[in-house]
Amino acid sequence: MALEDLRNEMETCRRCSACKFMPFEKVAGFQPVNVCPSISRYNFHTYSGGGRMVNGVALLEKRIDFSDKFMEVMYNCQMCGACDVSCKYAMDMEVIEPIYETRIKAVVEGHTNPALDKVINSLRKQGTMVPGAKVKRGEWAAGLNIKDCTKEKVDVIYHVGCQTSFNKNMWKLAKTTAKLLQKAGVDFGIGGENETCCGGRAYQMGYQQDFLAQAKKNMAMIKKSGAKTLVTGCADGYHAFKVLYDKFELKGKLEVLHITEYLARLIKEGKLKPKKKVDITVTYHDPCHLGRLGEPWIHWKGVEVPGHIRIFEPHKEFRRGTYGVYEPPRDVLKSIPGLKLVEMGRIKEYTWCCGAGGGVNDSNPDFSLWTATERINEAEATGAAAIATACPWCIKNFNEAIKAKGSNLKVYDVVELLEKAV
Amino acid sequence: MALARDFYRALESILGPENVSEDPVVNESYSFPIRKKTMPEKVTYMPRFEAVTLPGSTAEVQAIVKLCNKHKVQYKASSTGWLYCDPVKPNCIKLDLRRMNRILEINEKSMYAAVEPYVIGAQLQAELMKRGLTCNQCGAGANCSVMPLASHVGLGHMSQSGSYTERNLLAVEWVTGDGEIVKLGSLGSLGEWFCGDGPGPSLRGIIRGNTTPLAGLGVYTAGAVKTYHWPGPATFPVEGICPQYRHPEMPPNFMIRYLSFKDVDTTIEAVRRVGEAEIGFTLMGFNAAMMASNIATDNQEDLDYLKKFSEQVQGCGFLLIIVGNSARDYDYKKRTLEQIMAETGAMSLKDVEDPVMGAGFLWRFIRITGSIRETSRATGWGGGTVGGSDVFPLMTRYILHTSNLKQELIDKGLIMDDFIYPFIQSIEHGHTGHGEILIRYNPAGPDHIMKVQGMLSREANKTAIEGRFGVPHHVWSDMLHDMYGPHVMNYHKLLRKIKKNFDPNQASEASNYITAKDE
Repeated sequence: MALEDLRNEMETCRRCSACKFMPFEKVAGFQPVNVCPSISRYNFHTYSGGGRMVNGVALLEKRIDFSDKFMEVMYNCQMCGACDVSCKYAMDMEVIEPIYETRIKAVVEGHTNPALDKVINSLRKQGTMVPGAKVKRGEWAAGLNIKDCTKEKVDVIYHVGCQTSFNKNMWKLAKTTAKLLQKAGVDFGIGGENETCCGGRAYQMGYQQDFLAQAKKNMAMIKKSGAKTLVTGCADGYHAFKVLYDKFELKGKLEVLHITEYLARLIKEGKLKPKKKVDITVTYHDPCHLGRLGEPWIHWKGVEVPGHIRIFEPHKEFRRGTYGVYEPPRDVLKSIPGLKLVEMGRIKEYTWCCGAGGGVNDSNPDFSLWTATERINEAEATGAAAIATACPWCIKNFNEAIKAKGSNLKVYDVVELLEKAV
Repeated sequence: MALARDFYRALESILGPENVSEDPVVNESYSFPIRKKTMPEKVTYMPRFEAVTLPGSTAEVQAIVKLCNKHKVQYKASSTGWLYCDPVKPNCIKLDLRRMNRILEINEKSMYAAVEPYVIGAQLQAELMKRGLTCNQCGAGANCSVMPLASHVGLGHMSQSGSYTERNLLAVEWVTGDGEIVKLGSLGSLGEWFCGDGPGPSLRGIIRGNTTPLAGLGVYTAGAVKTYHWPGPATFPVEGICPQYRHPEMPPNFMIRYLSFKDVDTTIEAVRRVGEAEIGFTLMGFNAAMMASNIATDNQEDLDYLKKFSEQVQGCGFLLIIVGNSARDYDYKKRTLEQIMAETGAMSLKDVEDPVMGAGFLWRFIRITGSIRETSRATGWGGGTVGGSDVFPLMTRYILHTSNLKQELIDKGLIMDDFIYPFIQSIEHGHTGHGEILIRYNPAGPDHIMKVQGMLSREANKTAIEGRFGVPHHVWSDMLHDMYGPHVMNYHKLLRKIKKNFDPNQASEASNYITAKDE
């Protein structure tokens, strides 16, 4: 749906500022209360969900154009979706969809950010969103005796993702995941050198055609493999396969699970038994693309019924973040003997972003780090010894913030903590 | 109209370059062009501010205000900026007070809180509840500033037991139109926030009036609000994921009911009796449509509840929350209510009686999270007129007149058919009352808004003047003040003198207040 088609959504904004705050029912004190990193960092209304709606309409009416300032505002947003959820507590309107479409329109019309172009060039040439990677995709799996799903039939494909494949610091995460799947007796395989980027981050940056090219490549490979289930180790990958591929009607009947969902299932079925005590207090960070943005795509075709209240024929159910993946990672953590889970002030649908999304990691590393540092401060305030999460991009950003801040907080993927107990 | 370079450079030196912008992209986002669709077709001019500033302290506000006076540039301040803060003409800059967001003090013993303008209702209420206190926050919602001078009249859902700004406003820090810092009430003499009238200068009537000056008389940079006893939980249990929140339990000694009555006179009598017995924590004369919007999580569900509730009410009614300070106190209030209900033939909406659904209603009304749903979700555009406040029995006349008016608009197909009764509320246990006509409609279409709002405004003004029903809280322009003034002891002349004296250069943009134009 093009930006032009979302005009009425943008014009439904009442400028109430709810997009800047966590849902008001859940406010439990003076802080924390903010949910949007962009308005929190830059303060002008322009950077909020509401400001983006106003300027989206202004762009269509040609009162403003893709100026340097417009581009700066547009890309200083992690596409975390917090504004969308908070708005939709009360309103029936799309917020993040026009924000996506503004970026797509910019790219189509040739207005791009050089730092993001570099990333996309890497995607086009090397199939990865990690430019300058010195290693090969799939190299992490050397010696682990994992099936190649492009050559052998498997029940489950483990899609590792760019960050885990090309950042050597993340290899232990991929290896741990593989070992747990092997221990549970899962018939799984990886794409190895033939795995390619899910394309999700390209979509977040506005490069829709590049995303679609990746999606088609991936689905062709998956179809050929015959696998019915795909498990991702990355929240962005989960969002791409589960939500975006479905949005563009490319997913078919493929079952897409995040690794935490799959591990929770294996634990429930008794195929993994966490027995060893792991004495640690952790707090869990919900990755945006697994949590609020991870809820299934809702296919709807219809029309708005003219009248004095916006209703649709047939009934339109808005995606509000209600059905994201919130409990499975927590279920895994709670299954670990000795582990104590404490919650931060902003969790689940109103979680504070890690800062890595939407291309901000590449286009504005300082803002990305600032956002991650906010989260680390919040995690420290819980008294936890570690922050656990379920996405390698979050892990990378948190580690950078911890290093910059000189914090003692540890960062774990949920998978790593489970492995200690199994 | 570009700002002079030396003026802009001076802004940058006051605030730092990161806290001021004159870029069209920033200015445009404050102009709210989305409202263009609600304007008559002939209106094509959409003004922008010349620059937007983000002051972080009173000293920075003062410096900007003085600079504006020196350079003959107007300024307009706002906090959360829901309404009344748009640019209206050239040569005006914006003061977005977003960075002034601190709770300065919560004094549990003297029961007040001092806040900067960008502290929202949800934040202060949550902090107060931890301390066994609460405050009356703006009825427009928890998203609004809680500072009594930043939130219009300050009427809220707790006005039955917690009054409104006129009473709740304590000491104030004010940067006058020409840039003096004035500390009012006890702040002016003792540096403390506990009283608005002294020791120290008391200028409450001047800085406030019937409504606040809506950014037209300088900038209020901090203010203290009276707090009230809160016998409820420190935090309210809320489960589930937005917007499907569940509220598993009704706190002890709390009760919520929606009561409807066979006619307007009986409704008014029931309000009088509830007030006389002083049993109400909240009494809001919503019609059942607002109850439907409050619980519904989308528009379709809203319509479904509307239909369901319409079968469970018998006429106009009100929402009532009872809070006991002890089990005994609660029992007394509950029995008193039962007697009033029996004697007035009240019908209770069953869904509200349900303990789980009732707990949801209770929390949404106490936190005031439903106002956006009630007024804005239908089309993104709500309308009506903010009526006045007057002795409560005059509400009968207000209800009858406005419900006929609303019926006329419904019959013409101009607005949504969602019950004809206006919203009224009781203040200070029925001491006074306040009424608003709230309507939902699609504003798009040639001159639609003029047809609807024009008729409502004309009629509301006529009601007030001919019916002697107070001065409405929507009087916010030269034109309206000039119209009302002669009917109310020429107050507008005094208001102009105030404006002239405290803002001699007319720097504080006053399109929502009054200008010092010559009579």
